[in-house]
Amino acid sequence: MIETLKGFLGCLLLLVAFSCSQEEKSKHKILRYNQGDESLTSLDPAFSRSKANIRAATQLFNGLVELDNDLKVIPSIAESWNISDDGKTYSFNLKHGVKFHQNEVFANDTGREVTAEDFVYSFKRIIDSTIASPGAWIFNDKVLRNSNGKISDTCFKAKDRYVLNIYLERPFPAFLEILAMPYGFVVPEEAIKKYGKDFRVHPIGTGPFVFKHWDEGSTLIFHRNNDYWKLDEKGQQLPYLDAVQVSFINDKTLAFLTFSQGKLDFLVGIEDNSPELFLEQDGNLKEEFKNRFKYNKSPYLYTEYLGFQLDSSFSKNKEHPFHNKKVRQALNYGINREELIAYLRYNLGIIGENGIVPLALPYFAQHRTKGYNYDPQKSLRLLKEAGFEHAGDLPEIKLYTSSPYKYIAEFLQKQWSDLGVKVSLEVNQASTHREMIDKGIAPFFRASWLGDYPDAENYLSLFYSKNFTPAGPNKCHYKNAAFDALYETAIKETDYEKRNEMYSRLDQMIMDDSPVIVLFYDEIIRLTQPYVKGLQVNAMNTISLEKVDIGK
Amino acid sequence: MFSYIIQRLLYGSLVILGVLIVVFFIFHALPGDPVAMMAGQRSDVSTREAIAKDLGLDKSLGDQFLLYLNDVLPISIHQNTLENESKYEYQKLVTLGESVLVIKVPYLRRSFQNHKLVSSILYEHMSGTFWLALTAMIFATVLGITFGVIAALKQNSFTDHFLVTTSILGISAPSFVVAILMAVLFGFYWADYTGLNLTGQLWVTHPMEGRQLEIKNIILPAFTLGIRPLSIIVQLTRSSMLDVLSQDYIRTAKAKGLSTRTIIFKHALKNALNPVITAVSGWLASLMAGAFFVELIFNWKGLGLISIKAVENLDFPVVMGCTLFIALVFIVINILVDILYAVVDPRVKLNH
Repeated sequence: MIETLKGFLGCLLLLVAFSCSQEEKSKHKILRYNQGDESLTSLDPAFSRSKANIRAATQLFNGLVELDNDLKVIPSIAESWNISDDGKTYSFNLKHGVKFHQNEVFANDTGREVTAEDFVYSFKRIIDSTIASPGAWIFNDKVLRNSNGKISDTCFKAKDRYVLNIYLERPFPAFLEILAMPYGFVVPEEAIKKYGKDFRVHPIGTGPFVFKHWDEGSTLIFHRNNDYWKLDEKGQQLPYLDAVQVSFINDKTLAFLTFSQGKLDFLVGIEDNSPELFLEQDGNLKEEFKNRFKYNKSPYLYTEYLGFQLDSSFSKNKEHPFHNKKVRQALNYGINREELIAYLRYNLGIIGENGIVPLALPYFAQHRTKGYNYDPQKSLRLLKEAGFEHAGDLPEIKLYTSSPYKYIAEFLQKQWSDLGVKVSLEVNQASTHREMIDKGIAPFFRASWLGDYPDAENYLSLFYSKNFTPAGPNKCHYKNAAFDALYETAIKETDYEKRNEMYSRLDQMIMDDSPVIVLFYDEIIRLTQPYVKGLQVNAMNTISLEKVDIGK
Repeated sequence: MFSYIIQRLLYGSLVILGVLIVVFFIFHALPGDPVAMMAGQRSDVSTREAIAKDLGLDKSLGDQFLLYLNDVLPISIHQNTLENESKYEYQKLVTLGESVLVIKVPYLRRSFQNHKLVSSILYEHMSGTFWLALTAMIFATVLGITFGVIAALKQNSFTDHFLVTTSILGISAPSFVVAILMAVLFGFYWADYTGLNLTGQLWVTHPMEGRQLEIKNIILPAFTLGIRPLSIIVQLTRSSMLDVLSQDYIRTAKAKGLSTRTIIFKHALKNALNPVITAVSGWLASLMAGAFFVELIFNWKGLGLISIKAVENLDFPVVMGCTLFIALVFIVINILVDILYAVVDPRVKLNH
């Protein structure tokens, strides 16, 4: 018995020693990052509804256009484009010689050239109800419809091999930004025909990397696309990396420890991670890491807010205090956002004293909407005006939140109780929380909005009266005829300045009416190993690896 | 014995049907909207309708249940189309007009979240869980019985007290604490000496070299998972050994002049093992259901983590698939254990 045990242990030790000795540094340039905060569900761009899916699809596919670091639309597969004077016809000229990845689905195993027909196929696939892509909304209410109300068959049209026309029902100037979303990436019909739903694990695109292997929940590997159609400024072939390896460590602490062991090259999505591991209270990188890692912080197209349910049909009490604007404003003035950022969030984020549109959009950083600052006196005065002599006369308020954001809710609870307002919390799982908002069960709730595309319309649509939940994003059921009218005019305006001036007025209307309490605009933080070069950041936090290099 | 197994299997399939009914209706009573989970933050009416139809959520609850049951049953009725034939991969039995009575492998549908076949999700995660549970149990059983026997033979000595005290520590330490300690100590602080990774799978795919077996990655999770069963087995073996050793037939054996070795291994241990087998089998079955904390901390690919995530995301087919699979594992292991009892203890007979 003891002998067998010894033998067993011996074997185990031998195996350990054997597997250790195999570790050899390869000479290839491999970039390793972790995808931890949410799970990757598909590599098919038609299902790129989460940050994880967008990140992966961006490495494998291209669309007509893309966004640069300042969120400006720049050419991708489309070399140039024209927009008709009425703003309803978009005509794209495609680059010649852009090829899909080499694959057996194409004749002769070579990559086939991308034509306008491929885009027509890809876009029609997005609105095809049998595919059930969550991205169908990007075209549904925008492209040309027939007289019977159905989407026209010819709204996407290949004029010739390299010219693609898109016809819209009414002008929508942010359409180019929308086309830069992964839902607008081009996919080859041959591959979809062959793999169907399993295209999610057999992606074939035109991007800088070729799909190699995906062990779900464990590793994802891309190899360099040797025939990639982009060159850098010096005329050198992109990408520089030989391979990309994505790991899926769920636990934030472990991901950081793995990174600090040098087994990951950068940490992504740490805005959701545990900043206490590497940040001092004041938001600077801890001394011990200063010489080891690169750290940067930049604005993020993300607003964190609390919403009031304004739809009186949901509440039994027709005289709900939240239907009184002064109560909402009072609560808005009653919280110290600076303390929230400084004490609870390691100085991550920009205080939300402006509108719902985050300051990451350049126009809104220059033309700031007037929001709410901390003013407890004003808060009490407004409550008095609303008929609550003492703050304690206000019926108890219940704030609904999902568990990851409980710490923010608790802070706010404390702030309001200091004024004398009674506040209780209800913490639910994310899915339950969402349903409670959608069904109007939660009269006061925590929410956030991550920009889908860099145009203020994306944020203002949260208050358009035709966008009520559950189908649309108007969680507050905010309804204001003046807002709707200006919104409808603004989204058709093709002139950038004029449009944004109207957006800015809309944003101010929202803040004056106060259907929401804006808390903060988040920031992107990134930790990188010092040898990683060319990793750029934009306010959408999309990660493009085509120009990233590793130099020891 | 053969008829006994058949009978138990039939009984087991009734249990599975019960599990299916209960889980189906509990799941649909849960708050939350799967379509919203699938649609992401921005959506519109027609997008949501298309998703609801794709997920089969546009029908009444009763219809949804019957359709699901029809998909899961090995003998079922489907529309006779080419599409269905490739979807279910069935063998036709009898054609009934437009429909056809078929025999097939239970079809567990595709995940709401990622459209992957639930059967392949289960298959992928099962192997991780299986190897982890098996390694942990072998480790726990071998060491546990050895230590238990040693403690019993040297009753009231220092070794005995030491083993008993340590095992109490092992029983009472919560698994998430042990897991974090193990990972951080052996995988991080002492990683240079142990050469172990914080996280990792049995099979690792390297970007250039391809798929490789890395047995070292199973050491930490298996050890962590095995600590509690190990401690319990030590205690069980010890007390049951002490009980047996004080019985008359052991004294008789000693009086006959048998060697200590024979007495311990042939006479005492064999009789002392019955309660240990019960414990081991119970543990093995529950470890097969996945170990959430160990999977989370070591990022081990197993059933525990995906079932929890599926419940969070309201991913009905995955929740159902996992539950049915786990029910099946319990049934099969229970049957195997009953057979094992009969082998170890001749007094036990396999009859009804």
